[in-house]
Amino acid sequence: MLHRCSIVALALAAAMTIAGMPASATDMKYPDWDGQWRNPTANRGGNPWDPNKPMGRGQEAPLTPEYHAIFEAGLKSLENGGQGNSRGTRCELPGMPKVMNFSQVMEIVVRPAITYFVPLHYPTRRIYTDGRDWPKDETPSFTGYSIGKWIDEDGDGRYDVLEVETRNFIGPRVFESSGIPLHKDNQTIVQERIFLDKDNPDLLHNVITTIDNALTRPWTVHRIYYRQQNPVWPEYNCREGNNHVTIGAEQYFLSADGKLMPVRRDQPPPDISYFKRPQ
Amino acid sequence: MFQNAFKVALLVGAAWIATAGAPAISDGITYPDFESQWRNPTAGGGGNPWDPTKPMGLGQQAPLTPEYQAVLEASLRDQAKGGQGNNYEAACVLAGMPRIMSLAGPMEILIQRVHTLMIFQGALPRRIYTDGRDWPKNLEPSFQGYSIGKWIDQDGDGRYDVLEAETRNFTGPRALESSGLPLHADNQTIVKERLYLDQSNPDILHNEITTIDNAFTRPWTVDKQYVRERKARWSEYYCRESDTQVFIGKEQYLVSTDGKLMPAHKDQPPPDLRYFGQAQR
Repeated sequence: MLHRCSIVALALAAAMTIAGMPASATDMKYPDWDGQWRNPTANRGGNPWDPNKPMGRGQEAPLTPEYHAIFEAGLKSLENGGQGNSRGTRCELPGMPKVMNFSQVMEIVVRPAITYFVPLHYPTRRIYTDGRDWPKDETPSFTGYSIGKWIDEDGDGRYDVLEVETRNFIGPRVFESSGIPLHKDNQTIVQERIFLDKDNPDLLHNVITTIDNALTRPWTVHRIYYRQQNPVWPEYNCREGNNHVTIGAEQYFLSADGKLMPVRRDQPPPDISYFKRPQ
Repeated sequence: MFQNAFKVALLVGAAWIATAGAPAISDGITYPDFESQWRNPTAGGGGNPWDPTKPMGLGQQAPLTPEYQAVLEASLRDQAKGGQGNNYEAACVLAGMPRIMSLAGPMEILIQRVHTLMIFQGALPRRIYTDGRDWPKNLEPSFQGYSIGKWIDQDGDGRYDVLEAETRNFTGPRALESSGLPLHADNQTIVKERLYLDQSNPDILHNEITTIDNAFTRPWTVDKQYVRERKARWSEYYCRESDTQVFIGKEQYLVSTDGKLMPAHKDQPPPDLRYFGQAQR
């Protein structure tokens, strides 16, 4: 009788262990990634794509001569007060891989079929881990379409690494606000290896390799995110407080009193020939 | 020995099967099957009325105070002339609560230990905290406000059925629908929700939303219904001024196909260009 009770107790204990877990870990296999994650170097005057090097030319991006020229032209535009190749001031999406610089905090949620990266204000990124193939009729997007595979690297019955590949893009996209460009053919392939630090479970590694026709070779960077213990989620709207106005191909600045201003010296005002002239 | 091990395996297996199918589990009580993509079946059908059983605008018969009834009617007049009225979303101002719960686009729900996460295709994520916390102090007001929720096991069967949520701490301006049905400028709105699965159809999620607001003469309750989408697809949506309209200060203008500024309504004056050199005009 006692023996039977202990069997039942053991089974109950097992069930309770499972019951205390979030859905992602019901089969005891998935790593604990849930929570809010931050880029520790964001908001410190730029967010270099390779966090170990300065932004812009300091990145030594392996650009083809054609795209190096595009990058240099963008830098010149920035020096003249323009926006260069960066589209952030137009509130356009950064897309992949730039969104993984975690310029703002993200929540990660792991479910067996999908791992979610939920940024503060950009569209949620879904990494499908249910074994599906690349869809044939998916509309291309800035974020692309991500398929992942969980790996149990050390064979302990628990997944350690999420390997991800992302394709199916639109553009224009850049790596960082200096305007390091991706190719306009949008044939980018982004490969990621995401895993927790072995010594610090509040540190997440992401080794990101970008394969793109603007580059002479695959470009790999190693990014690190920190888990935030007491997360706060501010509300962010790119449009609110955005003082940049785009009319046609030209960009202007909005003054504090709500009037259009030039963004560069000698910039002409917009054409207002469609308005009635004062009588 | 072998027999006992078999019994253990059987019981552990049964326990695993019983719990593994549940979307999220805590304290031994399971959560309802909310984790899915949900759609408003009437969205995209020419408007998204706040009370889905009535037409938009005046047809809603909103319990507005006389002052705010006048605000609604002014909005409708402006829209009739080609303006946006109180439909601030046209300028990519966040819709906020409770309007986002009209689900202009699909929503996904993920139940976490601390909060229930609502991911919208066309709005910022929303978090309803269910960890027993109190209202935070010194939190920046926002369009979506701050939501505290409580799971209820209504029929005592050991499984939660209802998520009750209350949302406060708003900023504005906010409207309930694109007609410009206004909420009060004091932003003292309180939104109460009861979310639960339909008893006869688990692919329908009810959201009974009661809005308490000083623009109203009484609390206003509507029953929204969302339909589960089992083959979820997601579009990438991000609100930005379109290439065909632009806001300069508080004024809205159109942009022609040749990239020139155009008036959005009859006799609209051009923008003030005084900050550009006189000779360039």
